[in-house]
Amino acid sequence: MGFSLWLQRNAFVVWVNGSVVTASSLEIIHYVGFFMVVGATAIMDLRVMGVAAKRQSATQLAEQVFPWMWTGLVLATISGFLMYASDATEYLHNSIFHQKLYLCALGIIFAVIVRRNVPKWDKLPAIPGGAKFIALVSLVLWVATILWGVDVPALTGVG
Amino acid sequence: MHQFIISFARWVQGTHLGVGILESTWAFPYVQLTHFTGLSLFIGTNLALDLRMMGIGNKNQTAAQLSDSVFAWNWVGFVIAITGGFMLFSTAALTYVANPSFDVKLSMLIPTALIVHIFNQQKVRTWGQTPETPGIAKLAGLVELLLWLSVVSAAVLIPYFAAEP
Repeated sequence: MGFSLWLQRNAFVVWVNGSVVTASSLEIIHYVGFFMVVGATAIMDLRVMGVAAKRQSATQLAEQVFPWMWTGLVLATISGFLMYASDATEYLHNSIFHQKLYLCALGIIFAVIVRRNVPKWDKLPAIPGGAKFIALVSLVLWVATILWGVDVPALTGVG
Repeated sequence: MHQFIISFARWVQGTHLGVGILESTWAFPYVQLTHFTGLSLFIGTNLALDLRMMGIGNKNQTAAQLSDSVFAWNWVGFVIAITGGFMLFSTAALTYVANPSFDVKLSMLIPTALIVHIFNQQKVRTWGQTPETPGIAKLAGLVELLLWLSVVSAAVLIPYFAAEP
């Protein structure tokens, strides 16, 4: 509670959430950031699942788009943290918000698992069923993260 | 034209779709989910292609190859996004059409961005054959990138422009 209160009263946090220009910029950066994360991850997952971009190798596509996953993640995390900080005490016991963060963390882990294994799977005659399943889990985790994200204001009224 | 838009908004808002989403306790977040998932696919792949055209980031695929890779899901994302967007609109259509940020987004920014997007998807087949894209492709990518950023900005600003009740 002490940390949340300190964070919430931090001069920069108060300032950045205090005007229309800076507060709306945080939202814009958060949306663009997560569009990059989910867009890049989803297209890689769909390629591994065998339903996208079959004319190019999965490795080539993953190498091309995955850096934008990290870029988007940095943008979404910084903007998300600053928005969280302005209501830190209210998020302290907000279980839907906590679940969203766990889902997001799992999403990152699965995205990295897929990215790391794509070159290996690509060398096989066909991408194995287990690999497709892991890619599907990654995709579902990101859709779930968005669902939990929109559920925070819808069900708890915070944000 | 103005009268037609108002009548259309009033009709949409009164349909089972708009009323149903509003009256249900769980439907609204799922409608938002639909809109945002579609946008992730659509805008996420648009930005990846725009940046590739600008020559920023990895060059494992040419811009033409990347465009070809994402083409189908790019448009699937667009259809999902407008489906969710229309459902969101139906919950408060009259309020949306009276909102300046929504009007600019729908009547100017989205049509312009879409035209540039379709133009770029066509042109990238010739501009994007080599690892290094020509200057004109870099400019076209930048223009499209800025247009999509302006679309997202106008969308985020809708609540800030909402008339005080």
